[in-house]
Amino acid sequence: MISALKSFADRLLGRGDATITVPSFDGALKPNQILEKAETIGQFDAPEDLATDGKALYVADGTTLLRLDGSAKPEVRHLDRPITALCCLPDGGIAVALDGREVRVFATPWAADPQATITDLSMTAVNALSPGTNGTLIATNGSTARPAAQWVYDLMERGRSGKVLSIDVSSRRVRPIASGLSFAFGACAADDTVFVSESWRHRVVAIAPDGSERAVLDNLPVYPSRLSPAASGGFWLTAFAARTQLVEFVLRENAYRRRMMAEIDPEYWIAPKLKSGESFLEPMQGAHIKTMGVVKPWAPPRSYGLVIRLDALGVPLYALHSRVDSVNHGVVAAVEMDGSLYAIAKGPGRLLRAPLAMIEKELRA
Amino acid sequence: MSDIILSLRNATKLYAGVAAIDNVDFELRRGEIHALVGENGAGKSTLTKVMAGVVTLTSGTMQVDGVDAAPRTPLEARHLGIAMVFQENSLVPTMTVAQNLFLGQEKFYNRLRGIYIAAQQFLQSLNFDVTPTATVGLLGAAKKQMVEIARAVLHEAKVIIFDEPTATLTPEEKKYFFDLVRDLKRRGVSIVFISHALEEALILADRITILRDGKHVVTDDVAKFDRARIVQAMVGRDLSNTLYGSRKTTVRPAGARVLTVQNLKMAPMVRNNSLSVFAGQITGVFGLVGAGRTETFKVVAGILKRDFFHGGEVILHDKPVRYRVPAPAVRAGIAYVTEDRKVEGFFETMSVARNIYLGLLAKLPGGRFFLSGREADKVGQSWVDRLKVRTTGNDMKVVELSGGNQQKVVIAKSLVQEPDLIIFDEPTRGVDVGAIVEIHELIQRLADEGKAVVVISSYLPEIMALSDRILVSRQGKVVEEFSALEATEEKIMYAAVH
Repeated sequence: MISALKSFADRLLGRGDATITVPSFDGALKPNQILEKAETIGQFDAPEDLATDGKALYVADGTTLLRLDGSAKPEVRHLDRPITALCCLPDGGIAVALDGREVRVFATPWAADPQATITDLSMTAVNALSPGTNGTLIATNGSTARPAAQWVYDLMERGRSGKVLSIDVSSRRVRPIASGLSFAFGACAADDTVFVSESWRHRVVAIAPDGSERAVLDNLPVYPSRLSPAASGGFWLTAFAARTQLVEFVLRENAYRRRMMAEIDPEYWIAPKLKSGESFLEPMQGAHIKTMGVVKPWAPPRSYGLVIRLDALGVPLYALHSRVDSVNHGVVAAVEMDGSLYAIAKGPGRLLRAPLAMIEKELRA
Repeated sequence: MSDIILSLRNATKLYAGVAAIDNVDFELRRGEIHALVGENGAGKSTLTKVMAGVVTLTSGTMQVDGVDAAPRTPLEARHLGIAMVFQENSLVPTMTVAQNLFLGQEKFYNRLRGIYIAAQQFLQSLNFDVTPTATVGLLGAAKKQMVEIARAVLHEAKVIIFDEPTATLTPEEKKYFFDLVRDLKRRGVSIVFISHALEEALILADRITILRDGKHVVTDDVAKFDRARIVQAMVGRDLSNTLYGSRKTTVRPAGARVLTVQNLKMAPMVRNNSLSVFAGQITGVFGLVGAGRTETFKVVAGILKRDFFHGGEVILHDKPVRYRVPAPAVRAGIAYVTEDRKVEGFFETMSVARNIYLGLLAKLPGGRFFLSGREADKVGQSWVDRLKVRTTGNDMKVVELSGGNQQKVVIAKSLVQEPDLIIFDEPTRGVDVGAIVEIHELIQRLADEGKAVVVISSYLPEIMALSDRILVSRQGKVVEEFSALEATEEKIMYAAVH
């Protein structure tokens, strides 16, 4: 009774859980257009994840695994289901997650048969893989209620069924190391700690070996996605959409949200998207406002592109943006190789390349 | 008719045996604009107060239009044609603008509507955008200043003395003010104005007089001065390179996020404002008067309340907080150094040590039942030493200090609380150049020690000299962010205005 009254008062006054606010892009997250200016080096139908072994880039494009090393035929293998996650292993192998439900480990990218095939009931929406310690794999399972492709349903249902799994490749044992996460989407191991991005809670948490969680980066203005190590220490964190007060409002209006999900085509929901501006039916994309002499879209950004450089402690150092008036949105993966940052903008289906020297120059300008 | 309208010879004023002005000679020509420049405590205010009848000379003579005069009250000075616009507003806050304008000029029968019409016409003639029916207490500092100026002009004074007239004015209002002063000059009015903004003296004045330690240093035509010469004469040393020095080449990296303001609303001043403040950095906040900067940070510090319904969020160290009074904010490590030190900064009749000790008491939950005078003296003395507050003793009243030293007491009162987040609101307003350098060094030191520092200032060179990152506020929200490395005065002002 008291909690019901408190909830009512919170909704009326706009406080507590009903506070509809979002943090601003400032400080290290100050907007720029570096990601938008990045060179497009590939156009794909359904790019999903990116990995590197230090010599070449591997791209998961639908059911196809591609290797980009300058050779004419980049295709490495076809798989029977869409690849939802990908990672290169320290021993030269490669691991892929298929449809979020199965993980296959290959001894080499070209190996005919998998070295190990792992399935488990807890694997329903595996969306990121990362090498762990002692020959293990770290996998994030976004939701147990929805498959990987239906992430927007999980957001609108305020899902909290995400898990982080430790997969012992040799024994094929799967062990959950964290659960109850609001869409776990990306992990990166550093020593004995696993950094995990939790999209719907807009944060990065560090999970200690004993399973305790600690927020290292909280209250982000975006929905974070995958993590990858940076060559000079720290991490690259991608974000596939920006938070807006409009979506935060919808997330707190249960009746409205349920009706929207029942009656409206998901394409036109008031929800984050990987790309936007393609239809007049999209919510509020038509208006604009003139600010500082520049015509800017008035509507809150429905899609956005962002890569954040974090130091080893998870403190943001700088960020690369593709803003609302740009196209390189829905960034789901980024890796560093040979002095360049490569990122997948899933919205337009692009593989982007930004040399670190160019990034530094742009940030200094 | 002599060219000299007002003169002082060997003017000396002693306070408790200490000379505030010492054998000062001063001459004001008819229809000239005369700038009076000097550090805080140099004797400028005392000299002008003598002219305006606020205080009387201990020795020396004063002549108005060649006739000996010794006004003992401001009313007597007004009868001599001398009016003063004070730095601290001398308006009655509960009365309307029109009533304040005509205060002291009431007739036997006063028709309120007639007064409002007359005031409206008069204010319009001065191009001042002030509503005559508005209550003065509800006006901002700039508008109060306008009413002060309008009152002096209304009294048809031959000599008008302005004490720091532009400190609270926006650049546009300053332009109006300069035009007004030039217009007064054309009408034959002589102007004396005190300003710490040396550029204003160089732009506006015909002649400049510089005082130091109560003594006359030099009077000369403005053409014979430049900024360096003025500063050197004021302080006896060359500060031009340390004050608002050369462009920044490095900035401090951001540490952990200490404060996040999200969609904060406090109608009508703060509108959906969002910003972050980081440890180990100085975050400068620039904006014109009315941009909602002060109000935003007063909400953070619990001095003002945000809107009751959907008023947004303040997050301190990743935890949402809402302070309805300042005490819990102080205990949480937030210190707010006010822009209005006379009203909000200290108890002016209490001693320096007691004022600083009050800051410490504010940090203690529930205060203290028994207070230790010895502890107060010890704490006070340590901060007086650390901040180099120039006092004759720990028991000296704050009101007896110069503006710069008063400001140091206000800062000490906040720093004694050992805050993590320190908000300086106009930290050097009405402070002399020597104290400005010391206060700037202190602010830099705090950031170097890892504190999150916010500096709110309307003075662009100060913002650019201090800040590692600059937030520009306009119409109640932050509209632009610049790194100190990329910021220029033009960029910042463009963002603040357009």
